[in-house]
Amino acid sequence: MDLAYLLIADAVALIIATVVLTYFFIKDFFKRKT
Amino acid sequence: MLKLAIVDYAIIVIYFVMLFALGFFIKRKVHSLNDYFLAGRRLTLPIFVATLVSTWYGGLLGVGELSFNYGFVNWLTQGFFWYLVYLFFAFFLANRIRKTNLYTIPDQLERFYDKRSRFLGAIFNFIMVTPAPYVFSMGLIFSILFGWDLWVGILLGTIVIVFYTIRGGFFADVYTDFIQFFLMMIGVAMIIPIAVQTYGGFDFLTANLPETHLTITGGWTTQMILVWGFLAFWTLADPGFYQRCYAAKDDKIPKKGILISIGFWLLFDICTTFTGMYAAAASNAGVLVVESATTSYLSIAGALLPPALLGLFLTGLIATVMSTVDSFTFLGAMNISHDLYKNIFKKEATEKQVMNMTKIGIIITIGFAVIISLFFDSIVAMWYTIGTIGISALIVPILIGFFYKRKKSPMASILSMIAGSGTALFWFVNGYLNLDQWGWPQYIFGVEPMYPGLLASLIIFAIVNFIHVRRMK
Repeated sequence: MDLAYLLIADAVALIIATVVLTYFFIKDFFKRKT
Repeated sequence: MLKLAIVDYAIIVIYFVMLFALGFFIKRKVHSLNDYFLAGRRLTLPIFVATLVSTWYGGLLGVGELSFNYGFVNWLTQGFFWYLVYLFFAFFLANRIRKTNLYTIPDQLERFYDKRSRFLGAIFNFIMVTPAPYVFSMGLIFSILFGWDLWVGILLGTIVIVFYTIRGGFFADVYTDFIQFFLMMIGVAMIIPIAVQTYGGFDFLTANLPETHLTITGGWTTQMILVWGFLAFWTLADPGFYQRCYAAKDDKIPKKGILISIGFWLLFDICTTFTGMYAAAASNAGVLVVESATTSYLSIAGALLPPALLGLFLTGLIATVMSTVDSFTFLGAMNISHDLYKNIFKKEATEKQVMNMTKIGIIITIGFAVIISLFFDSIVAMWYTIGTIGISALIVPILIGFFYKRKKSPMASILSMIAGSGTALFWFVNGYLNLDQWGWPQYIFGVEPMYPGLLASLIIFAIVNFIHVRRMK
């Protein structure tokens, strides 16, 4: 397997992790407001 | 100057409008000095991670330069060694710092020793957090993107940062950090799949890079690797780390937050390292024009990314620098208002007076950095090394304060700070008086100033503490 797949997996994992963290941030933000 | 589409400009403009809007509305969240300094000590886990990860990254162009020139060793020296120190910080310092409920590193020094240590510590802290190199990078990025003179980009970035930081204090800092975190992570991550698709997989890298680029040591000597690697000790006295630990909602968040941040740094560092390597390989293969190693990220992004994605990437690049400038500026302002004004010169100052002094401190800190960037550009290049003089002074008294539970001498703390910084300063000046043929400083024994500084600081602390504590008894 080309190691480049691992690189792409790394980039995709970074994007997913960022989106998940953002989701929790927004959830916290609105929870505090209500 | 890069060629940008209207949609790219629009994304950059929207980013600045968002920062302005946030600065405008954030003020209503600030009700007390605790809110202004530490966002009311209410940072939840996601925002703790976002602000720590984004603030820590200020020198993306420098990382691009290293990975372009030397390859994978960039990850070893700028990533791996740092993860080890972050782990130490997470397991042994983070929660202890939060439990003390203080505000700054000089606060800790006063808790461990006395007011004189606070005073000296505040001065060294201020030097460490002066955002001059990052203000300079900010101007440089704008000048490359838009063809502006350096001062125009510096002035524009500074006005925006001063606006939202003065209005919202640490709240503004961490909320803008979240926007900046999101942009920098997504911006950097998306370039890798496109590079692989355009140029090819690992075969392309192995065919077009020198062999050393793909080895873990990059052909560097062990000493060179250690010299870079041990700079990671900086973390142990980094005011940004301490400030975020103090501001966490409870004493569990700092440890968890740093561990999650290490995950983000790991994924991010691999992306940045390989982006630089793809730029180098494509340049060697003759399919990409790279003007200089420093701007290699801009060249590869300009060549690979379609409109909109390019705008997003460039906004991420701007955000990476700005998130560091705003955080450092606010830290410097707290040194002035909290550590010096309130705790040394005017103890009876009211909350309002301290808050006003912080606002003045923001202008002084960033003003000082702007002056250095615009008029003393040769100093900017060495500012990081100047910062390590502060590290040489602070690490020993801080770590001994946290881990040595027996009686400690305040005199040992002061003298060790003076000895550590004095030795590092001597080493630094001597190095710059003996430049080599390429204009690089030649340090005594080829050793960076921080190491003799730390050693002197430790020895003086041990001797003075031994003598003085016996006398105190």
